[in-house]
Amino acid sequence: MKLNKTLIAVLLAVYIGVPFALGGNAYVMSLVIASLIIGGIALSWALLGNLGGMVSFGHAAFFGVGAYTSAVLSMQHGVPVFIGLLMGGVGAVVAALAMLPVLRLRGPYFALAILAYAHIFRIVATEWRSVTGGSGGIASIPRLPELFGFDFSGKTGNYLVILTIVLAFALVYDLIRRSPHGLALRAMHDSEDATRVVGVNNTLLKGLMLLVSAFMCGVVGAFNAHYINFLEPDYAFSGLWVTIPIVAAIFGGYRTITGPLVGAVVVYLVDQLFVKNIMPTGHQLVLGVVLVAMIIASPDGLFGLVRKFMRKKDATA
Amino acid sequence: MTELILQSVYSGLLQGGSYALIALGLALVFGAMKVINLAHGELVLLAAYIAYTVETKLGWNPAAAIPIAVLIVTATSALLYFVVSRIKTNREINSLTLTYGVGVILTNVVLMIWSADVRATSSSWMQEAFQVGDLYSMRSEVLFFFVSLVLIVALWWWLSRSWYGRAVRAVSSNRDAAKLMGINPGRTELVSFLVAGLLAAFAGVALFSYGTITPATGGVLTVKAFIITVLAGVGSIPGVLIGAVLLGIAESLTVTLASSALQELAGMGLFLLVLFVMPNGLFGATKRRG
Repeated sequence: MKLNKTLIAVLLAVYIGVPFALGGNAYVMSLVIASLIIGGIALSWALLGNLGGMVSFGHAAFFGVGAYTSAVLSMQHGVPVFIGLLMGGVGAVVAALAMLPVLRLRGPYFALAILAYAHIFRIVATEWRSVTGGSGGIASIPRLPELFGFDFSGKTGNYLVILTIVLAFALVYDLIRRSPHGLALRAMHDSEDATRVVGVNNTLLKGLMLLVSAFMCGVVGAFNAHYINFLEPDYAFSGLWVTIPIVAAIFGGYRTITGPLVGAVVVYLVDQLFVKNIMPTGHQLVLGVVLVAMIIASPDGLFGLVRKFMRKKDATA
Repeated sequence: MTELILQSVYSGLLQGGSYALIALGLALVFGAMKVINLAHGELVLLAAYIAYTVETKLGWNPAAAIPIAVLIVTATSALLYFVVSRIKTNREINSLTLTYGVGVILTNVVLMIWSADVRATSSSWMQEAFQVGDLYSMRSEVLFFFVSLVLIVALWWWLSRSWYGRAVRAVSSNRDAAKLMGINPGRTELVSFLVAGLLAAFAGVALFSYGTITPATGGVLTVKAFIITVLAGVGSIPGVLIGAVLLGIAESLTVTLASSALQELAGMGLFLLVLFVMPNGLFGATKRRG
């Protein structure tokens, strides 16, 4: 019961408290929205890493495909924007289906293959001019519309939508993790061969995790397209959509659900508010340094480090 | 038309030399340490930018940059080894994230020092035309193709005849058994990183001498090196050379017959084809990869 009470309090705070406290400040709201976008990608990346045991450097592909799918459907085929968001996820799933043969490759080779795929999708988006507008990009993508009498096109509306998306994903992630499949996936970490012996279809489960992760990332990409109203291949498939979420997930701890989200807020805000002011070019350098430092000091995230520290203190006490 | 195709096959062949050097470095480190170095392309890029600095600041021929590039790149590679070797748990997965981070660091260091502009050599000696029968190329392309061949033969000799080369192969086939035979695996891994850095330095200077470079080139090179190892299969030096030449030819044919924008797709197409049809690579053993 106590958990439920804190959960309700947190939900009230983020749904009502944040818009009322910060809603008037467009700059702060845009920072919050951007960190939620990063958080959404980080969550989908961590799901694949934690449950699927796969490290992906190609999530920019899902982000970009989702963005383009929703933008093209809503502009050229008159699909309502909210359905476009879901279709963005479906588009990313289709892209992920094309990646399934890569699951034949295990471990480190998978990571490189998915990186190669991300390049393919960027080139396709640049060259398929009739649909994507080529490297010139697509301008004036429709904003989020009015629904149930509430206008979602403003900063507060956008905030509520991305917040709902991210929280829904966290819920889905939690449900998968608690399900029997989640148990099988966790067992797979320890020994793929042993789980195969007891009748778990490893490849199918890993493939499903790839699809779920792609869907989440695609929806976030689609949301971002309608939020900033502009797309071009180098932006939509930028390596930044991979780097910042990975740093966020590793920083917060990719084996937890809250870790990537908290990590996204911290990493993005520190990057935007402090690092970018000190070094205007090459501020990603700091992200790389954080990543390297985290992997060496505490690959399970800062929370893991704190927990380890607490345990040590308990032991000495 | 035939001439045009022959010409692009020839250009692709020459390009394959430095591709092979990059791919061999990646494969060597993976063999010895089971670590895919995602920053490998950035090491090559670093060498290319050192050649650029030597040419513009000192006014020397880019080839003169090789000693400096070898020094700096092998030092960076050794540093990378010390960082990677400090990973305590789950090295296969964590090393990917770590080397990815190092790649981001190196790309941004290059960006800060040399800016995002596209660079190419202005050395007329390097760009001088070189004719073999009816086929043309730049002098630099032929020069570095032969340099690559010499290096590949030297690498083959080193791996099969020298003590350290044999140690690298022993560690990659059975780490524990190698330890029992008195091989220090840590030192062997360091040596593999140093040799990979050496090959990367030559490849980088070559790349600058006949092509264009930008800070984003590094990541693309890592992907290409990976495609070559998929084409070649595991553990075959001639296989890597043939895979590299195939990739070079596929790219230059695409540029000639279709469009230069599709150059990268050619390699990807080849990669997918091999993945579907022959998952063990063209020259790999029957063992499954991974």
